Amino acid sequence: MKNQRLTIYLALWLLCVSLFTSCNKVEYTAIAEPAYLRVFNNLNYVQTLGSKDDKVPYFCMLINPTFGAGGAITGAEIVGDFLDKRAAYAPPYPSHIGNSTTVDNPEYPGKENVLVGPILNGFDLSSWAQVPSGDLRIIFAYRPKNSIPFLELESHLKTDVLIDTVIHLASKEVYTLHLLQKDFVTKTHGLLLRQENFHKLPLSDSLVYVNFYNMSATGFLEADLTLKDDDYLLRSFKNGIKDEMNIFLSLYESQEKPFVQAQTVPGYKGKFLTRLTRNNTNAAVSPYVSFPLWASSKSNGIQTDIWQRFDFFIPGMDITNNPFFSGDIATGGNWASVNCLKNGKVSLEGSDNGTQLPNLLVNVHSGTHNPQTFATVNTLEVVNGRIYLTTIQRKYAPPVY
Amino acid sequence: MNYKIIDKRWYPVRQYVLFMLSFFLFSCEHPDLTVVVPNENLRPASDFIKNNYEMTLFSAALEKVGLASTLNEKGPYTVLVPTDAAFNELGIFRPSDFDKMNLDSLKKVIQYHILPRRMLLRDIPSNGVDVRYATLAGSELYASLGSVGPNGGTPTNELFFSGAKASRKDVILANGVLYVLDKMMKPQFDTSIQAWLAARPTYRVFVSGLKKFGLWDQLATNGPFTIFAPTNEALEEVGITEETLQTLSPEKYRADVLFGSYLIYDKHFFVSDAKVMGIIATTGGYTYQLKNNLHEMSFAAGEDYPSFILSYYLRLRADRTVTAPIIAQVSYGIRAKMDYLCRNGVVHDLNQGLVRPEQAIK
Repeated sequence: MKNQRLTIYLALWLLCVSLFTSCNKVEYTAIAEPAYLRVFNNLNYVQTLGSKDDKVPYFCMLINPTFGAGGAITGAEIVGDFLDKRAAYAPPYPSHIGNSTTVDNPEYPGKENVLVGPILNGFDLSSWAQVPSGDLRIIFAYRPKNSIPFLELESHLKTDVLIDTVIHLASKEVYTLHLLQKDFVTKTHGLLLRQENFHKLPLSDSLVYVNFYNMSATGFLEADLTLKDDDYLLRSFKNGIKDEMNIFLSLYESQEKPFVQAQTVPGYKGKFLTRLTRNNTNAAVSPYVSFPLWASSKSNGIQTDIWQRFDFFIPGMDITNNPFFSGDIATGGNWASVNCLKNGKVSLEGSDNGTQLPNLLVNVHSGTHNPQTFATVNTLEVVNGRIYLTTIQRKYAPPVY
Repeated sequence: MNYKIIDKRWYPVRQYVLFMLSFFLFSCEHPDLTVVVPNENLRPASDFIKNNYEMTLFSAALEKVGLASTLNEKGPYTVLVPTDAAFNELGIFRPSDFDKMNLDSLKKVIQYHILPRRMLLRDIPSNGVDVRYATLAGSELYASLGSVGPNGGTPTNELFFSGAKASRKDVILANGVLYVLDKMMKPQFDTSIQAWLAARPTYRVFVSGLKKFGLWDQLATNGPFTIFAPTNEALEEVGITEETLQTLSPEKYRADVLFGSYLIYDKHFFVSDAKVMGIIATTGGYTYQLKNNLHEMSFAAGEDYPSFILSYYLRLRADRTVTAPIIAQVSYGIRAKMDYLCRNGVVHDLNQGLVRPEQAIK
């Protein structure tokens, strides 16, 4: 009897404690009619003596900013701070945060801890941020390269605005926003807002898709070489490419000891893919071209070791009548090449003029296969002397250990 | 229910308790614990400088301008102290030499060597170039720290303040931190390059040449410029004097070669920047076309055997091709006369001329 009463008291007491401790209400952030936005800062810089006194294109992006007395920026609905130059590779999921110790953000959302996109028609949109749809006022403000948040900077450092404009985003649509140099001579800048359509297309999961853009500034190719970024890794792209280029694809069999003359997949040695025209004003999506994931007969349907090389030639030139030596970098914009293999940090053996990007294919542990190779949807963007790769992946089956 | 302690059980318990109590006897020792006490031998900045044989002239300068007591106050301060050798290079050998100077100017320059903050090496951004810090003089100095190259590795941490190398870093003081500089910083504050050159008779011929060839007026604008100012003797070596200048007619000569080769437009280079960039970007030089878009000029710097004094090198070539003839190639290593920081750029002294008039005929 006594024990029973004790048990009842104890239970009541526990109930009271739990009433006071467990009643935290978690306020989940939600955006009612979101659009999905990914932002790249395509203005580049290198740290050399010659560029020492140049203004560093390092920004704070503010969406729907609020202004205090005297027009000073006091806050914003969305702040994408520390927006640094874009990285050569935009991975299919936000891996930057785990791979660096700086605040510098190579894209938005990138390292920002914000609501991201869902799995949309099978595509993983975790690299896209949810933002409100409708008309958004967007500001890119120069900021000093340090780790002090923009809104805590001294007020005179918050006044240098590069772009202040309004963009319109439709609900549940996927957008990439590019901050671009429009003219290399006059140094005018602008935005390019592209409404992506990959999630609406009937894309096969056994084909690897890629589309191309050349968003270079007017007058970049013609400019003197000393005015261009002094980065030896750019190789044949450093000088820029001409306004009209044909793109050829070579698929190589093995990523071990890669070189230009290595064995290619039959039927994929300098295969014509598409024509690329320079355009930094039109936001239309380029058509996707594709190659089979299992192009190589050496693949087993689970894993393949092929890698890709894209050659950009002026019309009339291809790999059979290429007049340059394989290591020529100063091609006058007539030929540029890029090798997509491994993690994008590997140079080919022997003479070669290709810049480096990661392999378009994704290899992950999925199901019982470790690794399993998956097809992806890719975008290759040429901006001035650089080429960038954006890879979008599907949602894969989780690993079984 | 009633419990009764049974004697048989009680004994072991009592024994056990007594045994436990015996521990208290052992633990009642009070050994003298050594507690880390703050180092009381650290001196405030002014006392430290005064008691250092390498810094007697800076100490004398502090006394002279009345900052000695300030630097013993709470602070915190960061003091950049040029060594006596650095003062000697400027022709200052004993404290009485300060008596000949304008007290206000001296005070402002000394104040420029003091920062109202405790700035340790770790507070300066790694690979930061031209990071500006406020000084007691009211204007800012430029700190550049070359740490690691593009391939990583152990940080080199070459630190320069407005062109002067910090030969010793992070000397901890009671009220701040101290760096030893291998030369004086030479801020000219609000003086423009034009006014600076005009006030120095040793560049009289250079100034006349700039005026005659239409390059003078721009030196009062915001720039920035980097100027390698040839002395009168240097220009005489390449056949330019006040008299010969009279005979040259500007329309027959390329002004941008004859006098423009001493100017770098839109750049703000301390000689040390080439060294810092050499660490950060592996190549520290800067090669550019002169304004006539034909001649190629290269600027570089290094600490070379046997003196290891930071020197700068200039090389002028007829064009940018590999086989282009070299018109002039000079090196300069008098560090006391480099890095005059003006309002609109930096001036470096140059004791050799670059271009003879006949090499710049149109």
